[in-house]
Amino acid sequence: MLSIARSELSQILRNRALLVANLIPPVAASAFFIYNRDVFERLGSLGYIAAVIVFTVGAFSLYTTVVTTLAARRQTLFLKRLRSTAVSDQAIMSGLVLPVSAISLLQVGLILGAFATVSDRPDNLPLLIAAIAAAFVMMLALAMATAGVTNSPEHAQITTLPLSLGTIAVVNWVAITGTESLAPLKRLLPGGSATELIVNAWNGGVPLADSLVLLVPTLAWVVVAVVLASKFFRWEPRR
Amino acid sequence: MSCPRDDVAALGANAGGLCDGDMTSTTIIDVDELNVTYGDFHAVQDLSFQVERGELYALLGTNGAGKTSALEVIEGHRRASSGTVRVFGASPTNRRAVRPRMGIMLQDSGFSPDLTASESVRLIGRLTERSDTVDRVLSLVDLTGKADTRVSSLSGGEKRRLDFATAVYGRPELVVLDEPTTGLDIQSRDALWDAVQQLREDGSTIVLTTHYLEEAQQHADRVGLMHRGLLRRQGTVPELTRALPATIQFSLAPNAPAPPMHSAPVSDRSYLIETFHLQADLKQLLDWADVHAVDLRELSAAPTRLDDVFRAMDTEPAPA
Repeated sequence: MLSIARSELSQILRNRALLVANLIPPVAASAFFIYNRDVFERLGSLGYIAAVIVFTVGAFSLYTTVVTTLAARRQTLFLKRLRSTAVSDQAIMSGLVLPVSAISLLQVGLILGAFATVSDRPDNLPLLIAAIAAAFVMMLALAMATAGVTNSPEHAQITTLPLSLGTIAVVNWVAITGTESLAPLKRLLPGGSATELIVNAWNGGVPLADSLVLLVPTLAWVVVAVVLASKFFRWEPRR
Repeated sequence: MSCPRDDVAALGANAGGLCDGDMTSTTIIDVDELNVTYGDFHAVQDLSFQVERGELYALLGTNGAGKTSALEVIEGHRRASSGTVRVFGASPTNRRAVRPRMGIMLQDSGFSPDLTASESVRLIGRLTERSDTVDRVLSLVDLTGKADTRVSSLSGGEKRRLDFATAVYGRPELVVLDEPTTGLDIQSRDALWDAVQQLREDGSTIVLTTHYLEEAQQHADRVGLMHRGLLRRQGTVPELTRALPATIQFSLAPNAPAPPMHSAPVSDRSYLIETFHLQADLKQLLDWADVHAVDLRELSAAPTRLDDVFRAMDTEPAPA
């Protein structure tokens, strides 16, 4: 798995188009939010800015990059090549997504670290880490499912739009309007409960037990995405 | 059953386990009643054959004959619709059991364009769990000078050679080659066959498909001929060609006497003799030409080739 991850990291770092298109924009968007934090804090809260940062990185650096990468590796038959060896499908998949996941986690860690330095620190750091982990696992699982219906890296530009833009919209809706109204709907949408969890972890003021329950819908999305991925994911291009 | 030390040594660096358990059998690949279907399309029908240790078995067929589908099941890339395939006595989808002993050259390269040639070999080599050096296999296919070149900058022929290099990394006991020489120039083809010969001397078993029938005729111990999903013929080249006549072709001057044996005129003065006794009939023809001072123009004599078997097979009605 580590051999695959190492080679995958080399490939990502050598692919400038991928770096510029998927990894740089989330940093730029996050910088914009942090720079204008007073405006966005009035609109929502500091927790809202944190949630937007997490899901901007999650949607573009992680989700879109993983879908694009898996589609590209399938299109060039690199996945088939890897399956010609002794390693399992699980190890191949883990190796392929590990570098992108690590880069995304590093990105979100550094950006949120910078945000905490210029504003307030999160109220509950362990809860925030749990929320970020749950959100990223969900985006990763959704990426594998989306890769199943994505024929090429070019096609990924279209297939990733609904979920990436959709989750960003959900984050803004939930974090700005709160969950006093339409709570069940907001929590069931992908990213909804994770957003509420991040907001709670950053702002504080909510009992831990009430926050932990919010992990359930996110993990339910993981299960749904894994089931979809196992049904739709293909290792070779369609003939 | 014990395995003589000399035999183990002769089988190459990664032949460990060759005399263990299931390997007391000489059958490396056992295909039994294999069927592969895509929807309503029957790509492979009731295919059965075995490949013995040390053999070079060529699976040949026209486009769409089903040979790649069959090969993909043997490689473990595709599941059989019905029937069984065993490789080293195990299911080919059991990667941990089979792949360390099996090298695969795919029909399409499947390399990442952003990795170099040496990185590609190193990655795949490590994942096969065989031990070898990148330099050795790259030099085997004359790609040492391209070690640091990205795959995207390699030519089609160089990618095929790189593919072969990964397949033979660690001198596997079984090497599966899907159209190995397609796209290669003549020097590269010769070099590849030299490498295959070396593998065979090291004890490897080879299974391949190719469109170059003369290569199969020259190198294969046994040949399986597939047509429309069915294995229509199987055997050694002499066994397969025995049923069809060899040919003698020549042309005569306008005033020359008729040839001594039955011959079919191809055109006005050109003749084609079909014979199952090539040497005797050729001698008779040459003696006749000598006695009658006849000039046999454009004389050629050709033994039956796999091409002829193929053409004959194509015109046969499909078995019920």
